[in-house]
Amino acid sequence: MIPFDFEYYRPESVGEAVQLFEKLDRLGKKPVYYGGGTEIISMGRMNNIATGAVIDIKAIPQCTAMELQDDHLVMGAGVTLTQIHEANYFPLLAQAASRVADHTIQNKITLGGNFCGTIIYREALLPLLLADSEMLIAGPKGEKNLPLDQVFNQWVMLDKGEFIVQVRVLKPYLSLPYRHVKRTKEDKIHYPLLTICAMKVDDQVRTAFSGLCDFPFRSPGMENELNDKTRPVEKRIENALILLPCNLPDNLEGSAAYRKFVLSSLLASILTELEV
Amino acid sequence: MEYISIGKDVTRKDAWEKVTGRARYTADISTPDLLHGVLVTSTCAHGNIKSIDYSEAMNMPGVRTILTGDYYPVLTGSVLEDRPPLAAGKVRYYGEPVALVVARGEAQAAAAAAKIKIYYETLLAVNSPAEAMKPDSPLVHERPEQYRKVIPEVYPEAGSNIVHHVKIRKGDMNKGWTDSEVIVEGSYAMPPADHMAMEPRSARAEILPDGQIIIHTSSQGPFAVRKLISQHFGVELGKVAVHVPLVGGAYGGKASLYLEYLAVMASKAVDGQPVLIRNTREQDMAGAPGKLALEAKIKLGAKRDGTLTAGEYSFIVGTGAYADTGPRMTNSMAMNCTGPYQLENVWCDAYCVYTNHTYATSFRGFGHTSMTFAVERTMDKLARALNMDPLELRRKNAITPGATSPTRLKLTASNLGNLPACIDKLRQLIKWDEGQNMAVGNNRIRARGMACFWKTSNSPTDAFASAVVVFNSDGSVNLQVGAVEIGPSTKTTLAQILAERLKLDIDQVHVEMEVDTRHNPHDWKTVASMSTFLVGRAVEKAAEDALLQILRIAAIVLRRSPEDLALDKGRVYVKDNPDFYLLYADVVHGYKYTNGNTVGSQVIGRGSYIMPHLSPMDKETGEGHPGPYMTPGAQAVEIELNTSDYTYRILRAATVLDAGRVINPAAARGLVMGAMGMGLGLGSREAFIYDQNQQLQNTSLRTYKVMRIGEQPAYLVDWVETPNLISPFGARGLAEHGILGIHAALVNALSLAAGVEIDQVPVFPELIWKKIEEQKT
Repeated sequence: MIPFDFEYYRPESVGEAVQLFEKLDRLGKKPVYYGGGTEIISMGRMNNIATGAVIDIKAIPQCTAMELQDDHLVMGAGVTLTQIHEANYFPLLAQAASRVADHTIQNKITLGGNFCGTIIYREALLPLLLADSEMLIAGPKGEKNLPLDQVFNQWVMLDKGEFIVQVRVLKPYLSLPYRHVKRTKEDKIHYPLLTICAMKVDDQVRTAFSGLCDFPFRSPGMENELNDKTRPVEKRIENALILLPCNLPDNLEGSAAYRKFVLSSLLASILTELEV
Repeated sequence: MEYISIGKDVTRKDAWEKVTGRARYTADISTPDLLHGVLVTSTCAHGNIKSIDYSEAMNMPGVRTILTGDYYPVLTGSVLEDRPPLAAGKVRYYGEPVALVVARGEAQAAAAAAKIKIYYETLLAVNSPAEAMKPDSPLVHERPEQYRKVIPEVYPEAGSNIVHHVKIRKGDMNKGWTDSEVIVEGSYAMPPADHMAMEPRSARAEILPDGQIIIHTSSQGPFAVRKLISQHFGVELGKVAVHVPLVGGAYGGKASLYLEYLAVMASKAVDGQPVLIRNTREQDMAGAPGKLALEAKIKLGAKRDGTLTAGEYSFIVGTGAYADTGPRMTNSMAMNCTGPYQLENVWCDAYCVYTNHTYATSFRGFGHTSMTFAVERTMDKLARALNMDPLELRRKNAITPGATSPTRLKLTASNLGNLPACIDKLRQLIKWDEGQNMAVGNNRIRARGMACFWKTSNSPTDAFASAVVVFNSDGSVNLQVGAVEIGPSTKTTLAQILAERLKLDIDQVHVEMEVDTRHNPHDWKTVASMSTFLVGRAVEKAAEDALLQILRIAAIVLRRSPEDLALDKGRVYVKDNPDFYLLYADVVHGYKYTNGNTVGSQVIGRGSYIMPHLSPMDKETGEGHPGPYMTPGAQAVEIELNTSDYTYRILRAATVLDAGRVINPAAARGLVMGAMGMGLGLGSREAFIYDQNQQLQNTSLRTYKVMRIGEQPAYLVDWVETPNLISPFGARGLAEHGILGIHAALVNALSLAAGVEIDQVPVFPELIWKKIEEQKT
């Protein structure tokens, strides 16, 4: 039960959504864009979110598109994790999506919601960080196509009233060798102790991580060390770990020391399996 | 003997309404005048309430009233009256109810509840049973010795956190240790956890203009609710009516009163209008009582050949902020402390202590679940010290008829069952002799661990149940009992017992899922795996009574004496001429002759049964007879450990228990499997986690994980059937038992595979890694 009333809107175009947001904001409704709603509902019932209006983007055709166009794959922000997994255009993303929450929730969680929610893990972003993806952002100032690294740094940086419409990935990335490993405290379905996505591009490994810091990340510095073939694998990993962008956390999911142990062991098998 | 219903896979009577979603539970029933109560619970684990500001909340839309602890100051408890339903002056655990908002709509009540501000003066909190025992520990209750005792056999100690202390003194410890050639010791810790019934608790109460109190609640003990509401609210017993529809799982957690007090107070505050309080999952976890914590030390002595010679057991039971059934469960652990092993020299000290955690109540196994873990881990250590097969060690020491229990109860085949036969059957079922610790390549080790258990109930010595059997004119019967259907198919089992005794088809026995204390005869509580026995005996007596009435009427009509008649398949016939018969339908509403004369009247059978020969445990020695009979069993778990990161999978879990007689094999298998699943959850993941301020950290199912479908192992269940001579068809209770040793079997397997001794649960991969790292240094 959600102990407050809110209005529900379902615009049918990007422009309509943006205009609605501005209007509702002026009226003091504190509007939020709505994908699958899993966080809004679960936070709403715990009184952890207050909004007077939600704008569901799933009736906007661009937001639910998922197709190969010319040289790239287009995925709308309103596509659900289940749809991504089932379509399997991008196997690494499909796998990462299928390990977020459980199947029932994957039927609801959208790509955009996984990127922009409050849960810090955002595991569906990891494959996109490796694949030089682009995001189509819409907002009061119109639409813009931006490389992912200009939109995402620790979190998705959107201005007020903006939302992600689509994500694009160039076709060659869809079929490169990859590894996805998720480890939890114990259960198959849980927040990650750590999740690693790895992709082999031009004989170099790229890696993106979730669960190690308060944000998902890809670190060029760590990748340099991991790709330094002059050193043995153990040393490469040891050097890479020095460059982690945060201190490993001690939390309910596990201690820093245990994370380090699991991370080192998983990186070693990934490097071996991808032959880098 | 060929039975009609007993031993058959009977589809449960509530199957269709449950699988179609039509089943109704307490919170599903609404009336137009229903008000809603929402609780505000403490965010402080131990503190004085400085002030409660509800001025803003009081003015919110729909709010009718807001209650705090001073509204109806009363202390409650089933053993020791120490708990105010709403905190009074002081809070003692995170999640404790502090205020109750009553409003027109549930959303309005919740919105107002969010606006209540409570200010606490934080006190040092007691964070574990061991901490509670320290002489300089903060006191959770200032004067526990001054609380009213509900039963005389509870011994709170002044100036301490000790609520209860029970001792077992049996045999000669000096001799036991002198005879010992090998001695092992172990210390164990099991944290508090949640019952996690699918249906969170809910209760609705209204007070009629003439003072009658009508309660609908999700409870295992409608008659206990009636008694305690009558007592605490000063209303005559008969003026309290308690209705319990289907209950969506309970596991002991719904056996004591919690929301019922609050719902009655709320209704009282709004001129008797009906008020429903239904817990959210989060409130149910943090606020409502859960599973106890245990810290145990066990020292076992044995001869070189494995014969046990001495056992010393120390249990510190954390009952959380209030006693509830903690002292009774402490008795339970002590009375069966040895596990199902023959041991003449036994010394046990079991303390029940307060901590600043969610208070504990009965939980599947009633203390045996935690106790068995400690016993069975120690048995494995002893086997290692003796270089003996752990199964052989248990087989050698398995208790047999002629021995006595720790409370010096003389054991017989009937009251004990046959553990050696269970062990032998388990050995085949889990393929024990293929090996217990096997490398299977690719950094994987497969290991098997086992454990044994026994359990009896620890009920009031005058616990009883009754049954009424009312015949319909078509020859079918309605069975009325006070047992609640909390999930294990109890009513169907009782219907089978009745069908068999009346020689009727199971479809001709009608049961009602709801219990109404004004309509159904008394039942102690639906707890302790006792209903098949306790209520079953009452059903048998009621059947016997009804059959005598049928025979009496039929004897007149058939012009023979009753002893010349026999009954079968809904007929009463003359023994020497079975073609000369009457249908039950002809006589159960009186037999009508062709001229209109009628003899007899409606056949209504009644039966009642009380626990036989029970007595409480002696304060100094523990001697006594606390439970009617044992159910023993043996369990095993097979795991696969990945030695590169210490993740593991549970591959198979097996239980063989002495069921006496299996009444409904399909239902019984389901119960034992479910219990194993629950125990494996406790062994592998389920535990409440508290931070340094004793605030509960995992308050939702996001972070408190239970086993999911894909994580369940293959379950193997088999039976030994040694009749329990005082029970219907020889049946022993089995609803709890699958949980008792399964986590010990799991951890025995994991300890073996990892090569380290793991003495706590739950076992996360990180714990295995940590133990291995510790061993390296």
